[in-house]
Order: sequence, then C-alpha cells, then structure tokens
Amino acid sequence: MCICDLTVGKKGYICDIQGNELLAKRLLSLGATYGTEVYIKNYAPLGDPIIISFRGFDLAIRKKDAKYIFVKEA
Amino acid sequence: MTIAALLGNPNVGKTTLFNALTGSNQYVGNWPGVTVEKKEGYIDKSIKIVDLPGIYALDTYSNEEKISKNFLLNENVDVIINIVDASNLSRNLYLTMQLKQFKKPIVLILNMIDVAEFKGINIDFNKLSKELNVTVIPISASKGKGIDKVKMLLMSSNFLKHLDDNDYHFNSEQDTYEYIESILKKCITYSKKNIVTPTEKIDKIVLNKFWAYPIFLTCLYFIFKFTFSYVGQPMSDFLDSSLNDYLVPIVENLLSSSSPWFKSLIIDGVIGGVGSVVVFLPVILSLFLGISFLEDSGYMARAAFIMDKLMRKMGLSGKAFIPMIVGFGCSVPGIMSARTLESEKDRRLTALLVPLMSCNARLPVYALFASIFFPKNQTLVVFSLYILGILLAFLVGLIFKNTLFKKDEEPFVIELPEYKMPEMRSLFIHTWDKGKGFLKKAGTIIFSISVIVWFLSNFNFNGMTDINSSFLSNIGRFINPIFIPLGFGKWQNSVSLLTGLMAKEVVVGTMGVIYGGDLSQALKTAFTPLSAYSFLVFVLLYTPCVSVIATMKKEYGLKMTAFSISYQLILAWIVSFIVYNAGKLVF
Repeated sequence: MCICDLTVGKKGYICDIQGNELLAKRLLSLGATYGTEVYIKNYAPLGDPIIISFRGFDLAIRKKDAKYIFVKEA
Repeated sequence: MTIAALLGNPNVGKTTLFNALTGSNQYVGNWPGVTVEKKEGYIDKSIKIVDLPGIYALDTYSNEEKISKNFLLNENVDVIINIVDASNLSRNLYLTMQLKQFKKPIVLILNMIDVAEFKGINIDFNKLSKELNVTVIPISASKGKGIDKVKMLLMSSNFLKHLDDNDYHFNSEQDTYEYIESILKKCITYSKKNIVTPTEKIDKIVLNKFWAYPIFLTCLYFIFKFTFSYVGQPMSDFLDSSLNDYLVPIVENLLSSSSPWFKSLIIDGVIGGVGSVVVFLPVILSLFLGISFLEDSGYMARAAFIMDKLMRKMGLSGKAFIPMIVGFGCSVPGIMSARTLESEKDRRLTALLVPLMSCNARLPVYALFASIFFPKNQTLVVFSLYILGILLAFLVGLIFKNTLFKKDEEPFVIELPEYKMPEMRSLFIHTWDKGKGFLKKAGTIIFSISVIVWFLSNFNFNGMTDINSSFLSNIGRFINPIFIPLGFGKWQNSVSLLTGLMAKEVVVGTMGVIYGGDLSQALKTAFTPLSAYSFLVFVLLYTPCVSVIATMKKEYGLKMTAFSISYQLILAWIVSFIVYNAGKLVF
C-alpha cells in the first residue's frame, strides 16, 4: 500500500520508493530507507500537501510525490 | 591561515553558530552564477570560516550541494566544522558520512543539546567521538552555551587530526543508514517516551484547518503594515522630504551664483538620483526584518506548506506567496525576498512574476486616470487592474513553467523545523546585509540611470532646454508609432512612459509638465476612456522601474534582466492591444 492510504497517526514501515529518481534519491538520503517507521502527521488545510514524519522529523510532501512511497502497515 | 568549512543540514543553527563565532567580522557575497549567498568570517584573522549552504547530502545534485562539494574538493580546507541537530542524529550523520569521504579532520558540533535532553535522548559524547573518529563538542548555540569551547578548539587547532582508514563510500543509502544506526546504538540511550514537544502543540493551532489561513494572513498583514505604514514607508518619506526640504535649499543657496545647468545637475540629477536610491532602504530593511523573523522562527516552512496548493498553479512552491504579496508594496524587496525559496528555478520564476503584482508606485497613475475618465467606477477600475496583474501572473507562470523551466522541475519536499525564538543578533545581521547589498550593487545602477535620464530630459544638441524639446522628447517621438495601435499614440504619452522607467509614479509628474495647464482637461482631449484604460494596462505591465531592473541585475545577472524587461514589454503591448481593440468592438 502507499503511504497516502495510511490514516493520520497510523504507523507503517517503508518498503519501497519509486517514481521520480531525484525525489527517490532525496527521500533516501533523508533517511526514508527500507524498514523506517513512518506516519502521516497532518494534511494541509486544502488537503495537499501532507506532512509525513520519520526518524524524528517532519517533512512536507505533495500527494502526487507521496504516492510513490510504499509502506507496510505496522 | 586555517580555513574551516562550516557545513550542516538546514535548520540546525548553522547561521547562529557562524554569527556567534565570527561576530561582525564577516563578509557576504554570492557564489558565482547562482543566487546562493556566500558568507565568510574570521576569528582573530588566523582562522577563516566559510559558511557553506545548508544541505542534507552531497549527492543529490542541487546547486547548494554542488557548491559545497566543489569547495571541499578545490579549496585547501584544513578542518570541517559539521554542525548537527543532537535531537535528530541519524539523519544529520548521513551528511557527516559523506563529509568523511573527503579525508579531512572533522569537528562535530552537537547543537540543540538542550532539546535532545528534553526529548530524553542521552548521548555518550566520548563514545561517539571514538566511534566516528571526530572531535565532538556539545553546544546550545541559541543559548550561547559551548561557543567558547568551539572557538578555543579552533584557535588551538587541538582537534583530532588522525584520520581513520575506513572507507566511507557506501553502496546505498540503506547501507549508510545501517552503519549510522549501528554506531548510534552504542552511543545513545532513550529515557522518555511519547513526549509532546512545544512545536507539536503550536502546529496543532497554526496548521489547524480553520485557523491556518487567518493566522497566516494576520502575520502577513502585520509585516506589510510594519513595512508600508508603520515604519519603513514613513522613514522613506522622511528621508525623501529631508532631502527636498533641507538639503536642496542649502545646496541651492551655495550654488546661487553657478550656471543653471550645473545647479540642475547637482540638485535634480545628483541629489534626485541619491534620493531615488535611499528612499528604498528603510522599506527594504523593515521588510527583511519581518521576513527574517518568519524564516528564523520556523514559521516560513509552514506558510509554504499551507500555500503550496494555490501557488503550484502558477508553477511555484508555497513559499513564493510571500515575495508575490510583497510585490504589491514594491517589487524591489519582493524580488530580493525570492532568495528565500528552495530551488533556483523557483527563485528565478518568482522574480520574473513579482513585477506583475501592481506595486504602490503605480497607484497614483491609476488614481489620476480613474478620477478623470471613470469618476463613477474608480474603485472598480483600479481593482480590475490589480486582478488583471494577478491573472496574468498565473498565466505567464504556467507558460514559463512548461517552457523555460521545464527541465528544472525539482521535487517539493521541505522539512518543517522545530519552532524557535529568532535570535535578535542574527536578525539584524541578516537584515543589514540585505540593505548593504542593495546600496552597493543596485544603488550605483539606479544612481547612474537617474543622472542619465536627467540629462536626456534637460538637454538637446543646443544645450539646456525644457523637456518638450529635449533628447527624451525626440526619443519619445521616435518610439511613438509603437503605441498607435494601443490607442494612446501621442508623443507626450511616450515620453511619460519613458520617464516612468525612473519610478512609475513619475508618469503623472511628467504628464503635468508636458501637457501643462489643467491636466484633467488636457488628458480628456488626449484620451478616450477606452484608450485611457489601455494606457493603464500598459502602465501596469510594462518594464518595471530602474530600481527593479537594478535589483534584478544584482540578483540574477544581465541575461535574465534583459529577458525580464523584454517579456514585460511584449506582454504589456499584447494585452493593451487586446484590451483596446476588443473594447473598440464592444463599445
């Protein structure tokens, strides 16, 4: 499942990042590696982008990019 | 001299540390070819610290990363000062692993040690130092704790210089992070769980569905008021009137026996030119104080987050909203504040679109024409021009995004840092840097063009004359045919548009001089309501004033400035043409 399918606050583990190579590389270097715990912290008031939280920090990312982050539900 | 390179992730207090170490002994410049600031500072003349851009890694191809990488490769760096967020070590050490590859001594500064303690993260510094083979110093830069230790260490060069033989080239990010985790497991213990940080509490309100926008708009309103009503603009007006009311009479007295052309050169040319530079300074300073406050407190990232959906429609990210709004006051600080955006593409596109936001200086022109030609619908007419500017910004943004900047599309990810109280010293240093940069780089251009325009509007081949027979009027007559299809092709108007390059409100003053007598009567015979509106559209859109041009040149170089000038001229012509000719069909 993709990270957007998680409900707010529900934890998951990253299993794959696909899509745009630049974005994948950026996310990996930020520590979104295989098995990292991640959850959606919040939605922007207009529903997009979203805030995801992993390794103890918050990252704003657009839904169209986030849909390439695949997770396993915890 | 020892050269130290200061590196670290964004939002870990790098600038605060840099300011604390170097004090006022620092110099701000630009890395060649990009809009990334280059900061250098000194400790005791014996140590040079270069503050490299805040980055998360060295291998993801952004300008900031390339600059840092090239610097480490090509300069003789003696020591790397790597500042990290102690409360978030795993991600921060990723950059450290890449810095290790350069085989230089590293001093690892663990900042925000108080935050880490609050979060129940206990770090064994000695063990960390041994495991990574770097010197480790815990500090709290915002509270000034530990700064002296860093200074002493650098001055004594008493850091670990022995380099380990490990190869820090990993096969993948996965391997790097596993290695980091294996080290951290030995050095960190956790004593608390599930604490709610102040940042989370603030975000509950600030990012709330219903409160987010009112809070954001209130912030903007205060910055805008601070800049254009309370502090900046009044100070500008004060400077302007001091020049005119005090300095000018004194100089006039001193020059009472000189020839008229020399008097005019000094008073209208030189003092006028200086005036048009310095009046911008208070506005720029107060605006940047406000913007730096938002930036340093951590709120700016939230603003970008909530505005992203809207701004994306014109090909920009959320943060660009602020420069655009500032543009309604004045394009100069608008363009300068575009520097806070993440990517080069965003910065450039924003700077190109900001002048389409109708600035304060255009209002006197609208007001004059609206009162003469649309006395019953003044507000509506003025409002329509503002809206037209915004709509065109969306349209042009969309076009540029899909043509000029198509290749540069960078993914939008921004970290939402923890909130913190901005540090006054950093705020003032940053603000003053902006003002100084403007005076030095843009000021000289604005001044010289002012003097040139003064010359062109006061002279012809026979010597001094009035504007009606000056070089400028000749140029006006020469370019006049361009404006005939737009409905306002009279040489008087062309000349006014030319002098409007000085500052758009000058259009009104020039018309007063050229048309002479009762301006509203004169304009009524020179324009129809339709051609008046077409003229206003042209004033809204055509090439911005010299101050904007000079700022653009300072920030983005000649090529982009030339592009900005030409695209706006073309846009202004096309839109005015459409307005005038479509209007003729309808009315």
